[in-house]
Amino acid sequence: MGSAPRANQAGGSASPGAIRDVVDYELLFDCVHCGLCLEACPTYTLNRAEMDSPRGRIYLMKALAQGALELDADVVRHLDLCLECRGCETACPSGVRYGQLIEKARVYVERNWRRSLRERIRNRLIGEIFPYPRRLDWLLMPMRLVDALGLRGTLERLAPAALRNWIELLPAARADAPRFPRAAAVHEDDGPGKAVAVHEGCVAQILTPSENANSARALEAAGYRVVRLERTVCCGALDIHNGNRKRALAFARQNVRELSRCGAEAIVSAASGCSAVIASYGELLREDPVWATAAREVSSRVTDLSSLMIAGRTPFTREFVAKVTYHDSCHLAHGLGIREAPRALLRSLPGVTLVELAEADLCCGSAGSYNLTEPEMARALAARKADNVVATGVDYVILSNPGCELQIAAELRRRGSKIRVMHLADFLALAAGGGEARGAR
Amino acid sequence: MQKQIDPRVMAELREILDPAGVVSRPGELNVYECDGWTIEKSVPQLLLRPRSTAEVSALLRVLHRHNLPFVPRGAGTGLSGGCLPLAPVMICTSRMNRILAIDARNRRIEVESGVVNLNVSAAVKGAGLFYAPDPSSQAACTIGGNIAENSGGPHTLKYGVTTNHVLGVEIVLPDGEVVELGGSIEEPCGYDLVGAVVGAEGTMGIVTRATLRLLREPETHRTLLAIFDQVEAATRAVSAIVASGIIPGAIEMIDHLIIRAVVDAFHVELPLAAGAVLIIELDGLGAGIDEQAGRVTEMVRASGASEVRLARDEAERALLWKARKRAFGAVGRLAPNYATHDGVVPRTRLPEILQRITRISQSHQLSIGNVFHAGDGNIHPIVLYDERDPDQVRRAIAAGHDILKACVELGGSLSGEHGIGVEKINQMPLVFTPEDLAAMVELRHVFDPDERSNPGKVIPQPGACVEVAAPRRQAAL
Ligand SMILES: Cc1cc2nc3c(=O)[nH]c(=O)nc-3n(C[C@H](O)[C@H](O)[C@H](O)COP(=O)(O)OP(=O)(O)OC[C@H]3O[C@@H](n4cnc5c(N)ncnc54)[C@H](O)[C@@H]3O)c2cc1C
Ligand code: SF4
Ligand code: SF4
Repeated sequence: MGSAPRANQAGGSASPGAIRDVVDYELLFDCVHCGLCLEACPTYTLNRAEMDSPRGRIYLMKALAQGALELDADVVRHLDLCLECRGCETACPSGVRYGQLIEKARVYVERNWRRSLRERIRNRLIGEIFPYPRRLDWLLMPMRLVDALGLRGTLERLAPAALRNWIELLPAARADAPRFPRAAAVHEDDGPGKAVAVHEGCVAQILTPSENANSARALEAAGYRVVRLERTVCCGALDIHNGNRKRALAFARQNVRELSRCGAEAIVSAASGCSAVIASYGELLREDPVWATAAREVSSRVTDLSSLMIAGRTPFTREFVAKVTYHDSCHLAHGLGIREAPRALLRSLPGVTLVELAEADLCCGSAGSYNLTEPEMARALAARKADNVVATGVDYVILSNPGCELQIAAELRRRGSKIRVMHLADFLALAAGGGEARGAR
Repeated sequence: MQKQIDPRVMAELREILDPAGVVSRPGELNVYECDGWTIEKSVPQLLLRPRSTAEVSALLRVLHRHNLPFVPRGAGTGLSGGCLPLAPVMICTSRMNRILAIDARNRRIEVESGVVNLNVSAAVKGAGLFYAPDPSSQAACTIGGNIAENSGGPHTLKYGVTTNHVLGVEIVLPDGEVVELGGSIEEPCGYDLVGAVVGAEGTMGIVTRATLRLLREPETHRTLLAIFDQVEAATRAVSAIVASGIIPGAIEMIDHLIIRAVVDAFHVELPLAAGAVLIIELDGLGAGIDEQAGRVTEMVRASGASEVRLARDEAERALLWKARKRAFGAVGRLAPNYATHDGVVPRTRLPEILQRITRISQSHQLSIGNVFHAGDGNIHPIVLYDERDPDQVRRAIAAGHDILKACVELGGSLSGEHGIGVEKINQMPLVFTPEDLAAMVELRHVFDPDERSNPGKVIPQPGACVEVAAPRRQAAL
């Protein structure tokens, strides 16, 4: 009853089991192989294969750690395909810290696996542009011109497939984004008065600037004191996702310094992906001789717009009639465990009806730069999300992360759907009377 | 030695499926080497992932021609090693997950065998219906796996196990022939062949479709949580309730070791010091249910419960069930590995079996927790161990063996719902005579004369008592 050969000859140069130095080996044993996470995993729901499931990926990591497998193209493929959405963490009764496992496994892969030239160029581009708002801004100049001339459609048709994915995701110029009305502001002493910092992130500053601004205004209207931040940088999400730990740590330190100095009692970000990363700084900088304590404190202050709005005074007096649904952005729902607050907030808005979305917390495929690195899976997940959204028959789909917004909006636009995709902050602005948006497209 | 698959056969099989349907590289096959029973492992040489009955049939015809055995697999949540690859080819139904037809008026649903259990109920919720068998793994396990294992769940007490809810199946026999058994009619005439296939653990062919019975959702529920200092008192309460003639939807017991894991995992408010808790759920019509709940509360108190709580709303009820249903998984917080056993004793012998388990735990020096369907005497002792220590693995297996022996000695049986698989194959002679076993083999031969469907499972090879398998196929440490 022998078994097939257990290890692959080809592939990586790493010595067997070297991943043990990188991944928290003990954490792998929290997984009891029960399979309860399978259907919570977006890649499993589509591919329906064990190696594209959380249990399978953990098994691969374990096999690598035990020297039963060598790093090869297949293993890298299946680890790459993970969205880091952490849907599996929510589903797992055993408390497996999957996010931590995959982050470190990625570091290991980047160190020991030679990627193709194409992948290297792509990752380099992503890594050198996205975390730096000014670079991205420059890059987008020509797109703005294209949009101004109304040539986007033509461009999308003519662009080669590889480029088309990138172009389609870019939102059109957003001069029409709603703006939370100042007049609605409550006086500071009337509200909770707590100091809140809005971390602006990197990509969001350029692609979806209204969301941070509206978050700040909404918070002020609810009675919070919004503190100004001087020198925050990219939260490091992209680097963590792509296994570039060194720069992630550097970004983290810089943010921790600024966020602890500003005196904020609560930290929010329009990008819930960034919020989740900031909430993990404590873990990330655990061994940092200088920043460990500050990082833990900063992490413990992370919350989200909806939680604060519910605790504050309501500035929503005017009726705004709309049927909406809510999509759970992964890092808010699975990362920070915030699911109820946004729904409760939406339900509390006069005139707004909330319809539940099927598979609301299944990843839309945006996942940081995933839609650029794994376009096929990303597209399939976007399609599934769009199907569910369309089935609700709403006017607006609300979410808490710019990445999701771009992703879902692009898919709905492809289908010619009239449903508007809006970040919660922008929708609040609209509901408060902040001008008629023609959709956050 | 396992038969090597000829490259030409590989090529024939490849023709039948799309590229994603064939998995043949070791790095990918590795993850299919075990299911929820992780003590034994074996990597298949080839994994096939068909999408339709026609594809299954075409694949099995090729395998038949070349006399190759195969192992069916659903979601791999089985706890007895049912889909441990002891054959070169594995056939996985996870892509056959379409719901084919819903007949709400006649309360029937037709599904492909790879449909996930919970999705059946989800599909008919709008019509006020549900599919009763609710294994705790229902968010992941497939209908095909449920049929193979004749799975039960907490609500088995009132509604019965899978076999009571399967009206018909479509099965592809090992030679590729597609056969329909039963149908959508309640009591077909002739032999109950569906009943033979349900619980066959994949040894008769691959089930591709099933017609399932649906029930109307109960009008209302009352869910009680009873807390006991001693496990014995809890078992007394179970007997008292059942003897009174009230049939709750479910009576589930969780002992103190598992309470710890569950509190940690789900933040339910359970007293960590309690010896055991019972979750008792009454369901049915609104009229009279509160009176029943009152009577149950009295009985439970009289048996020695220190506290009885009633779930105040749907959210509290959901949390209790979440804690119960995901309790197995939560055990991962207590130890790196566990083996969940599955035995049955007459309900009245519950106190004795629990005492025996305590002794077994002491003599093998392993922690054993209990979380189980108390109402029908179906126990699930969970033996905690660490696979990195070969001695612990051996002791875990020995403890499991002792537990099952104890069940049989107390007038019970080897498996309530998780099946025999490879785990309990050596204990079959404890309950069956050689003649019994021979009769089972004969029945199997009607469907699978060459014993190519899931070989090495359920029925022990005559004379060749397989050596306790454990570390033989262990992964490198
Ligand atoms: C956390 C947890 C809780 C559980 N709780 C329960 C419970 O409460 N009650 C209960 O009864 N079980 C329970 N189980 C056990 C398990 O989930 C069930 O046995 C389930 O029915 C297996 O389904 P599967 O799709 O995962 O099948 P698999 O594990 O993939 O296979 C199980 C067996 O079925 C065969 N098989 C699978 N599909 C087919 C098919 N289409 N045709 C023919 N044979 C097939 C396989 O060969 C194998 O022998 C639990 C398991 C876990 C991990
Ligand atoms: S649910 Fe958790 S313990 Fe179970 S297989 Fe998935 S990760 Fe492992
Ligand atoms: S993080 Fe998301 S994609 Fe990755 S394994 Fe978990 S559920 Fe699947």
